[in-house]
Amino acid sequence: MRKYLTLARMQARSVLAYRLNFVLSLFALMFQLFAMLAIWGVMLGSGRNLNGFDWGHMRAYLLVGFVCGALVSQGADFRMAGRIQDGMVAVDLTKPVDYQRARFAEVVGGAWTELATALLVCAGVLLLSGPVPWPGVPDLALFALSLVAVLPLKFLIVYMSGLVCFYTQNYLGVHWARLIIVSLFAGALVPLSFFPHWLQYLAAVLPFASMSATPALIFVGQLHGGKALALIAVQFVWVVALWLLARLIWRHAITRVTIHGG
Amino acid sequence: MRRTIRLYRRQLGAHLRAALQYEADFWILIGAAALMQVVGVVFLGAIFAKIPELNGWTFWEVVVVYAMVSIAEGVGSLFFEGTWRLARKINQGEVDYLLVRPYPVTLQVMSSEIGLNGIGNIVVGSILLGLGVARSDIHWSAGNVLLGILLLVSALVIKVAISLGTNAGSFWIPGPYSVVGYGIHQVGELARYPITIYAIGVRLAISVLVPFAFVSFFPVAVLLGRGGSGRLGLLTPAVAVYCVLAARWAFNRGLRRYEGAGN
Repeated sequence: MRKYLTLARMQARSVLAYRLNFVLSLFALMFQLFAMLAIWGVMLGSGRNLNGFDWGHMRAYLLVGFVCGALVSQGADFRMAGRIQDGMVAVDLTKPVDYQRARFAEVVGGAWTELATALLVCAGVLLLSGPVPWPGVPDLALFALSLVAVLPLKFLIVYMSGLVCFYTQNYLGVHWARLIIVSLFAGALVPLSFFPHWLQYLAAVLPFASMSATPALIFVGQLHGGKALALIAVQFVWVVALWLLARLIWRHAITRVTIHGG
Repeated sequence: MRRTIRLYRRQLGAHLRAALQYEADFWILIGAAALMQVVGVVFLGAIFAKIPELNGWTFWEVVVVYAMVSIAEGVGSLFFEGTWRLARKINQGEVDYLLVRPYPVTLQVMSSEIGLNGIGNIVVGSILLGLGVARSDIHWSAGNVLLGILLLVSALVIKVAISLGTNAGSFWIPGPYSVVGYGIHQVGELARYPITIYAIGVRLAISVLVPFAFVSFFPVAVLLGRGGSGRLGLLTPAVAVYCVLAARWAFNRGLRRYEGAGN
C-alpha cells in the first residue's frame, strides 16, 4: 500500500510542476462548457422549463458534468501511451508494483488538482451567472457517494483506452474516439432525457452515464432515494466489472509487447 | 509560384506516405474526427427538438455555421498541420535546418506534418454544409454563388492565418507545446454557434480581437441576408487579407528572435 501512496504523492507534485499543460488540457472542456451554457441560456431564457430543467438546474447539471469531465482528464492515458509506444513500459513491467493499481494510484494523486481547478471554474461561472438551486442534505450525501464512484470508473475507461496502444501506433485517434463516445453517452453536455428513446436505452446499458449523468441528476434533484441508490449501485458494479475486464485486456495486451534493441 | 506549390505538395506527400504506413491508425483518426463533428450536430439536434429556434436561427442554419468551422479545421489539419509543430521545432532548435533551405520558412513549417483527421472533418463538414444550405433559405443567383465561394475561401484563409499567427507565439513563449496557439484555438470553438448567444464582451473578442466569427458566423449571415451581421460579413475577404498580413508579421518578428537551442 505504501508503494502506491508514494506514487500518488509523486503524481500530485508533478502536476504542479507542469501546471501549464494541465490548465491547457482543461481549456477544451471549459470552452465546451461556455458554449453549452450560452446555448442553454438562450433556450431556457425567460423562465422556460424543458424536461424538468430550468436555467438554474441546467447550470447546476452542466457544472457537475464539467467537474466529472475534469476528473482523470490530464493525460494519464497519454503518459501510458507514450511509454507503451517507445517501449519504456518494459521498465514498468520490472517494477514490483501491480501495473493497473500503480496507474490508479497516480490518477488518485492527480485528482485533487483537477477537482480544485474545476471547482474554481465552477465558482467563476456561479459568480457571473448567479447561484444555482442546492440539494438538501440527504441528496447531497448521495451525490457525494455517487461522485466518489466517478473517479475509479473514469480511470478504468481511460486506462483501457490507453491499453489500445499495444495494438495501434497512434494514440490520438483512440483518445478522440473515447472523448466523443463518453461525451455523448455520459450526458454531460446535453442531458440524456433530451435524446431519442433508442439512444437513451443504449446509454442505460453502457457504463458512461455512470460517469456523469448519475451524480448530476442527483444534484439537480431528478433522482431521489431508492432510485438514486440503485443507480449508485450500478456505478459501483461497473467499477468492479471494468476493473476485472481491464485486467483481462492487460493480460492479453502484454503478450504483444515488442521491445526494440537496447 | 509553381515551384513553391510543387515543393509544398511533395513535402506533404512525403508525410502522407509516412502516415499511411499505419493503416489502422489512418482509419481510427479519420473515423474519430468524423464522429466528433457528427456528435456535435446530434447535440444540436437534441436541443432543437424542443425549441426550433436559437435567437432567430433555425437548426439547419446553425448547422451551416457549425460546418464552416469543421471544414476550416479540417483544411487546417490536412494541409497545414505543421503549423502546430512549430513550438516543438523551436524548442528542439530544428528551425536551424529550415533557415538554410531555399524555401520560405513559413511554408516549410506548415508542410512539415499532415493531419489525416482533417479528411474526416472535411467530409463530414461538407455533408453538413450541403444539407444545411439546402434546407436554409438562401437565394442562389449567380452572384450569390460567386460570393459564397469567395466567402468560403476567405473563411478558410482566416482560420489558417489565425493558427499560424497564434502558433508564432511560441517564438516568445518557450516550451514544447504551443500554449498560445492551442489556448486560442479552443476559444474558436465558440464560433461554431451564432455568436449572438454570447455576452457582448465575448462577441467582440471573437470578432475583433481574434476574428474567429469571420470563419463561420459572419460569412453565413451574409448568405442568409441577416441585416447588420450580414453587412459586416461582407468584410470577410478584407479580414482574411488582414489576418494573413498579421500572421506573416508575427511569424517574421518571431523568427528574428529565434536563436537556436544551444549547441
